[in-house]
Amino acid sequence: MSADVSDLSLVRRVQRGDKGAFDALVLKYQHKLVKLVMRYVRNPAEAEDIAQEAFIKAYRALPQFRGDSAFYTWLYRIAINSAKNAVVSRDRSPIDYDLDRNNPDESYDMQGRMKDSETPEGLVLTDEIRSTVNAAIEALPEDLRTAIVLRELEGLSYEEIAASMDCPVGTVRSRIFRAREAIDRRLREVFEGGLGRAEELG
Amino acid sequence: MALCLVVLSATSVRAATPTPPAPAAAAPDEPAQWLDRMNKALTSTNYDGTYSLWLGGKVELLRIIHRVKDGVISERLVSLDGSGREFIRTGGDLTCYLPDKRTVLVERRPAEESLFGNFPAINAQTVSSYDIREVARTRLNRRAMRVILVAPKDEYRYGYRLWIDESTAMPWKTQLCDAHGRVIEQTVFANLTPAAHIPDSAFKPDMSTEGFRWLRTETPGPPKEPVTSTLLFWSALKLPPGFKMTVHSAQVLPGSNDPVDHLVFTDGMASVSVFVEAHSADGAPSVNEDESATVGTSSAFSTVVDGHKVTAVGEVPPATVRFFADSVKRQGVTMSLSGPPRH
Amino acid sequence: MNEELDSQLSAMFDGELPMAECELLARRLSRDEQLKARWGRYAVIGASIRAERGVRLNADLARRVSSVISKDPNIAVRFVERQAARAASKWIRPVAGLGVAAGVAALSILWMRAQVPGETPELAQVIPAAPAAAIATSTEPDSYVVPRPSPRPSLVPATQLANYVVAHSEFSSPVARRNLLSAFMTGEAGTAGASNGSEEGSENVYDDAKNPAQ
Repeated sequence: MSADVSDLSLVRRVQRGDKGAFDALVLKYQHKLVKLVMRYVRNPAEAEDIAQEAFIKAYRALPQFRGDSAFYTWLYRIAINSAKNAVVSRDRSPIDYDLDRNNPDESYDMQGRMKDSETPEGLVLTDEIRSTVNAAIEALPEDLRTAIVLRELEGLSYEEIAASMDCPVGTVRSRIFRAREAIDRRLREVFEGGLGRAEELG
Repeated sequence: MALCLVVLSATSVRAATPTPPAPAAAAPDEPAQWLDRMNKALTSTNYDGTYSLWLGGKVELLRIIHRVKDGVISERLVSLDGSGREFIRTGGDLTCYLPDKRTVLVERRPAEESLFGNFPAINAQTVSSYDIREVARTRLNRRAMRVILVAPKDEYRYGYRLWIDESTAMPWKTQLCDAHGRVIEQTVFANLTPAAHIPDSAFKPDMSTEGFRWLRTETPGPPKEPVTSTLLFWSALKLPPGFKMTVHSAQVLPGSNDPVDHLVFTDGMASVSVFVEAHSADGAPSVNEDESATVGTSSAFSTVVDGHKVTAVGEVPPATVRFFADSVKRQGVTMSLSGPPRH
Repeated sequence: MNEELDSQLSAMFDGELPMAECELLARRLSRDEQLKARWGRYAVIGASIRAERGVRLNADLARRVSSVISKDPNIAVRFVERQAARAASKWIRPVAGLGVAAGVAALSILWMRAQVPGETPELAQVIPAAPAAAIATSTEPDSYVVPRPSPRPSLVPATQLANYVVAHSEFSSPVARRNLLSAFMTGEAGTAGASNGSEEGSENVYDDAKNPAQ
């Protein structure tokens, strides 16, 4: 069931009126969704607007979410529709719609599509965050680094990682957790310290 | 699909001829056959699955464990959300664990009642009110499925759409829909594991019942008075298309000594009960307004007719139970029920 | 920060936390801003590793969404309101002092109907039973306590409706019983009035051409 269980726990809370649970879903999927939308619109700010709209549509349509597909799959379709509508309504020549025929695997084949999202007009990404994370990963002991990379970059399940690293699943879970802890420690400095930004990402 | 067996022996070549198809039974690949296989899988195999139930805009997760051993059926239904409630059935004993109420309820139920029920058998009556056909072959959870549709021919009943596993015949997904195609309820398995052997420990509740109340309820006994014949009256009743009466009995429901007339009507798939009992005002003068309600996916409608309280209940759209109640209203309850009303 | 909790958070983020623990953690996550912030940083870490260029990692998208939906009427409340707007239907309320015993399954339906906040029907009078194991039972008989007097007595009190539904269920199809039981298990109540709130999602399942399976 993979991500479905944890997402479903949150979805069910939202369906019962817990809006805070929806925040958690947004936090988890916002980057993925923006990246998806950016296949249709190049401008990151505009992509964020469309993603925002998609999240809100999803929230309002949540009573119709029946749990037979993964939450992200359902969200993904809403986002694509929003993106297509935005593109069409702006009278641009639409990008190849065949893009959405590919089933969005909730694991991570994003890397194959990374090339699409090079934006000619200036990257808005926060280099500081990325370089912090990269430095932290470089500094990790190898077993922690391998575990987190297999998880986040290759999208492997704990069991698959355990097979690949020849260790128990519990060890995988622990390594990924400790990797995140180490990276997070440095990240918090960026968020709380130097830039003076609030800790809350939202 | 006929199989041709060619058996080579040292001395001769023999070809086995294909057996002729059984005349009355459905061909092996027909939708009705798939439903039949599904029913058998649900009732006679062992399995352990987790499914989501969508109803009323909300999703819940439940787990069902089912085992047949030495002719005894054991089942356990667990709510995986916060309530932690469990139903455990062993043969005819049903125990309901309610940790949120710190209570355990025990009751005898008919042994055939299953916690994750199966479909009624398709017969000629069913086919006259429902269109049963295969609509697709698809994959769900990487398994090959037959999608079987049981579509109502009118608005008096609900329909189903089932995704039946081609190899195990288990229904991985079931939708209850109205005549317009809107999904009212959906059940989807997230995982479903057939199990050769399920230990007894799998049918113990996942909680300590220390300090819980244990309560048993009396099963209602047979009616104290014989049913006076109102059959002539009932058979003249106008019914929604496709429905026939199948049972006419009187019951004493828990908590009362007065028997209630209980009639059951079915269209081969759905059924509706009509209960008629004497209505004494109980000091409340103006309780004569109709009432409707839904209980899960069932509908109920009550009205007062000639001093009798008439309630129709069934897993049908609200309009259908209302049809029954109105029909009685038009007909009138002129004959008395089993004995005079008591207070 | 509680290390065990954070380890669970990490596993839940990856969808690798057992269901029961997800339920508990989801509840905490929705309320705990620090936990939420950490969860959000986990997402940022993942996005960084995938080098999703062009995606702003510090966007306040989540905050904006949260702000918009905070002004939305509550989903659950909206659902209940929609039901109440239906004409010619009433909530069936328990009647004080009825003292009707109900079977197990009927009791379960009674609890099913306890959706309206505060309206929790208590047990009808039932016979205390000796449990399978030798656990002491209460010696006082349980009495039926119906919480509040209703403005007008109902034609079919809740317990009686429950008994009807159970009596009917012996004759209804097993799959219909499944629906009833499942709904009980999750504490989902029936409502007065017609169908459940699925009007918006009119997905025509009978139009096969438009709606390929799944």
